[in-house]
Amino acid sequence: MCSEPFGKIAGPAEVRPIVAFHEVSKWYGNVIGLNKLTIQIPAGVTGLLGPNGAGKSTLLQLATGQLYPSQGTVRVLGQPVWNNPSLNRCIGLCPEQDAFYEWMTGWDFLYTSARLGGLSRPDARDATGRTLDAVGMTTHKGRAIRGYSKGMRQRIKIAQALVHGPQVLFLDEPMAGTDPVARRALMDIIQRLGSEGKSVVVSSHVLHEVQSLTPNIILLNRGRLLAEGQVRQIRDLIDKHPHHIVLVCDASRKLASRLVSWDDVEGIRMLPGGKALMVETRSPDAFYGRLPQLSFEDGTEIKEVYSDDDNLEAVFKYLVNK
Amino acid sequence: MNSAPALAQIDPSSTGRGLSLTALWTLYSFSLRQHRHGKRWIIMAALMLLPAGLALLVRNTAHNVPGVALEFVFAFMFIPQALLPLVALIYASGMIQDEQEEQTITYLLIRPIPKWALYVMKLLATLTVAVVLTVVFTSLTYAVIYWGADNHGQNILLRCLKASSIHATAVAAYCCLFGLMSLMAKRILIVGILYIAIFEGLFANLAFGIRLLTVIYYTRLIAYRTLPFIVSTPFGTQDFAAEAWQLDVRNDPKLLEHPQFGTCLIVLFVSSLVLTALAAFICSRREFYVKTAEKG
Repeated sequence: MCSEPFGKIAGPAEVRPIVAFHEVSKWYGNVIGLNKLTIQIPAGVTGLLGPNGAGKSTLLQLATGQLYPSQGTVRVLGQPVWNNPSLNRCIGLCPEQDAFYEWMTGWDFLYTSARLGGLSRPDARDATGRTLDAVGMTTHKGRAIRGYSKGMRQRIKIAQALVHGPQVLFLDEPMAGTDPVARRALMDIIQRLGSEGKSVVVSSHVLHEVQSLTPNIILLNRGRLLAEGQVRQIRDLIDKHPHHIVLVCDASRKLASRLVSWDDVEGIRMLPGGKALMVETRSPDAFYGRLPQLSFEDGTEIKEVYSDDDNLEAVFKYLVNK
Repeated sequence: MNSAPALAQIDPSSTGRGLSLTALWTLYSFSLRQHRHGKRWIIMAALMLLPAGLALLVRNTAHNVPGVALEFVFAFMFIPQALLPLVALIYASGMIQDEQEEQTITYLLIRPIPKWALYVMKLLATLTVAVVLTVVFTSLTYAVIYWGADNHGQNILLRCLKASSIHATAVAAYCCLFGLMSLMAKRILIVGILYIAIFEGLFANLAFGIRLLTVIYYTRLIAYRTLPFIVSTPFGTQDFAAEAWQLDVRNDPKLLEHPQFGTCLIVLFVSSLVLTALAAFICSRREFYVKTAEKG
């Protein structure tokens, strides 16, 4: 069912777009969400990159038929998406917002999602079990979602997007607000989805998050397409700007004393409140790569990691003015 | 994590292409569970206990008040005039808005369920809860009024059954009305309370044609045509209902100028269907915004 509309798209396999936007604009009153965006997203894993407010969520909501374009056309798997509920059998969305039916258990949430997706009881039970396993949530399946950590919430949110076996997945900031270990686990899940032949569109405002998932990226800023293609093409631009990473941690002074000895750290600043610090680095890949190990070795619990937007904004400004 | 099993691969034929009854039934039963897990029903139950509590108070303090008078005041003035529209407003206004405000509506919009069906299933679940609450608390009110009284028996059971059915019809109509209004007005609680006060309160009590636009008018007519509210007092027999509801029985004893029982039922039923169809249509064309960085 899911492969049928995809199969109808003409042209060679490598250029078949999974998602096609043609001259799409979306306004919210006077605010513009997307501005005459024409883009074709091929099969495979694609990173959707841009600072907050760039139009990433708008693009994903248009692609999943939640919003109607003010102008232009949106097609997914060759079909129009607006008021096309059948298409939802073939797509899954992990939304950005941290919103849940908090009283449900993880198992219940997934099973209900599967049943809402039209699966019979045995199929839904089977799919729920397998999806829980796949996202590493089997041991927590009987707990109410309100008791889940941020990482578990993100995993169960991805699981509800997967449980009905969609062909295309849209993941909106799936790693936002997670600790380094959870982030690594989520990346593993997304990479495995790609290797299993799913088409995945992942949005993020952190380049280094996306580039470890896929070399294919789409850059958005202020509702417009800035660039699309291979990530290495913009890496040089990124490296010209020092990267700012915020680490939230109770023992922030202890953490700072560890980080200051790292070669790739150029500066550390304690943030007001004393529970977070901002690290400046020109080698963000290496820095991100070493963070999980730090948590394991040292027992330092880093609660949250996020990239300060300013850095990416600077790159976007550079690209705009180029 | 790397050794995790492959993700679910669903047999496409098991999910079908058209409207999935499985999905619709799941949505209905899920919406019922949402009602059960919310705190709203506790507030509603507390409100609906009021007539029974007040009736108990009156029975214990004024022993001479006839049961029919208590029944009229509590079961046919207080409940349909004040409580039923309030219950319907509070339930129906939250059907979609709650999901939207809590940003969980996304989980429903990304399923193979048309938006009109989403509304209809949510409404059906709301109707189920509102009707069950109404029937239970109407019966409780009757039990309090007539328990231990001389004239209880088969007749009272029948009156209770009729009253419950009338109230269920009214609350269903109110739910359909407020369900539609909730899609059209942002501050639905304020708009709904104003509607209840002005239309169902003020206009319905005027002996003019405008009361034909209110739910309470048809509810009262059905009640008047199916249940007698005549009480013997030291000053003779008194028709409470005709006086209170502005029905001119002196000049028109058979109320020929008013719709008949069947017409009232049809009006309530058909208008409920029309309101639902209109709301479902609006729903099918609507974008349901959830807060994102772009939208602020």
